[in-house]
Amino acid sequence: MSEIKKIINGCLNGNRRDQELLYRRHAAKLYAICLQYSGNDDEARDILQDGFIKIFENLVHYKHEGSFEGWMRRITVNTALEKFRSRHNLYRVDDIDQIPEPDADPDNQDYAGLDAEDLLNIIRELPPKYRMVFNLFAIEGYSHNEISKMVNISEGTSKSNLSRARVILQRRVGSYTGIKKRISNG
Amino acid sequence: MDEKGANIDLVFRNGLKDFEVLPPPEVWDNIHFVIKRKQRPFILLRTAALIAVVLSMSFLAYRWSREISTGLDSAVMALNEESASPEISPSVDKPLYVTAKKNSSLINFSKSLIENIPDKAIEPENEETTSPGEAYFQVTKSITMNKGKPLHGPLLASLNSSPGNTFNIKEPDQQYLPGNSITKSTDRWSIAAMASPTYYSSFNSGNDELSKQLMGSEQSLISYTGGVAFSYKINKRFSIQSGLYYSSLAQEVSGINSFAGFQKYDNTKGNHNFEVLTTNGTVYTNNADVFLIASGSGERILTNYNNDVFDPNKASLQYINNTLRQNFSYLELPIILRYKVVDKMIDLNLIGGVAYNMLVNNSVYTMVDGGKYSIGETEGLNLLTVSSSLGMGMEYSFSDKLSLNLEPTFRYYLNPFNGMTSSKIHPYSFGIFSGVSYKF
Repeated sequence: MSEIKKIINGCLNGNRRDQELLYRRHAAKLYAICLQYSGNDDEARDILQDGFIKIFENLVHYKHEGSFEGWMRRITVNTALEKFRSRHNLYRVDDIDQIPEPDADPDNQDYAGLDAEDLLNIIRELPPKYRMVFNLFAIEGYSHNEISKMVNISEGTSKSNLSRARVILQRRVGSYTGIKKRISNG
Repeated sequence: MDEKGANIDLVFRNGLKDFEVLPPPEVWDNIHFVIKRKQRPFILLRTAALIAVVLSMSFLAYRWSREISTGLDSAVMALNEESASPEISPSVDKPLYVTAKKNSSLINFSKSLIENIPDKAIEPENEETTSPGEAYFQVTKSITMNKGKPLHGPLLASLNSSPGNTFNIKEPDQQYLPGNSITKSTDRWSIAAMASPTYYSSFNSGNDELSKQLMGSEQSLISYTGGVAFSYKINKRFSIQSGLYYSSLAQEVSGINSFAGFQKYDNTKGNHNFEVLTTNGTVYTNNADVFLIASGSGERILTNYNNDVFDPNKASLQYINNTLRQNFSYLELPIILRYKVVDKMIDLNLIGGVAYNMLVNNSVYTMVDGGKYSIGETEGLNLLTVSSSLGMGMEYSFSDKLSLNLEPTFRYYLNPFNGMTSSKIHPYSFGIFSGVSYKF
């Protein structure tokens, strides 16, 4: 029996040590995903907490087919999506007309100076609707049709949100890169 | 634009791939608390299943032991009917030892019992009687004799008149009763009433200042445990024991002044007014008339009515006491294995096992004029705790059936009483159980 199977069986038997082991092994990666889907740390913590509770509750349904990490990731993303749906009406989406076009051609931009933390910060600055659609499309690989059902918007809105998210991200990446260059040049 | 978009998508997808951020430490505590609470129904179901299994096994074991004794009686009765009935009347209970040559299946059945009879009790008549296919029976109730009359002649003649049977009957006064070995083996069950004063305490394996401070102001009170236990003797050395006990554990929390008469000043609705921190969890007041204030420094009491807002002396509240008492009562279902180390007049047993403790009462009160004044209850207590126990039992037999038991027992609770706190408080208790047991 593989180690992960042993841990899962331990969790199913209510073994606290195995539950904690499972958490410690995967919490950091899943928390990064939670941060990516949330605008603040409190929200990310909530998503991680609820996501892990669902993971423990649904372990009995895990069939040991495919990646366990992928299975946990899907649960975490779905939890983020539920939170998003519940707060959907509270969010105000910025008027895209007020967002300027990127000042540099993305193809010619130098992204090399940006690390994962910079990218995370940039993505978290997006308005929630744009962030959700961008994450689902660009990171998770869902189609607009799927996203429209998941987020309960039309396909057109999904496309539009993605397009606007990209515009904002390109602008932010440009400014981050510029700042970093200026810092490195003294 | 799509290509540019795809480009930025790749930047983020690749950049965030395998990115990790450590979550805050309290997240795990919250998760664990929730999953533990959700697991409780399963624990209760498991406990119920365990009880059912223990009861079923006990019932089966009881039936099995009954069948053995009934089987033996029937076998002997069958023998009597076949060969000895004309001479035997079913009323005398004096034991008679008979050696028999018998081609019957009951011989095999009785073989194991026969092996327990010392050689002295059996005198084979000749080589023929000791050959395979012969057996020796202790006939206790079904074969009877008239006291003082020599029965050898007519009885033996009658028994030996059946084809294939050869019996040798010994005089009762010559018989060696084999230490009641067979009678003793049938007394597999015993029931006992036990009670014990219990000293409950706990130790702290953590280093946090708050726990140390709280433990410093808490003192254990002598508590009690009592109940009924039944045990089944598996063999000469081992026996398994279960039963149902009621135990009450209590501790005193000092440095908390309590006052009565607060209700007329209480403007809040519903919720508790005071929270008192203890090592076993937070006490929530449910008596609206009580006012609590810590006598020393520290922040043991959480309330909106602190000293700056409300002064109990100015309000002329009635002082009650400066200590609180926390009481937890449990119904215990132990599963204990006993090993007999010494089998003499006073038996010594090693005792070890586990007990499932179900919380049945949780109260916090203070004493006033010898009576109890209710304060509230401790929040977040585990409804089910598991304890392990280890002890040494002494058993003095008054008679074959009755014995006096004395069992000093140490108990360690495997999980803390409170599921909400993440403290490292480990409760334990020590008690000297005494009681009387009856074998049957």
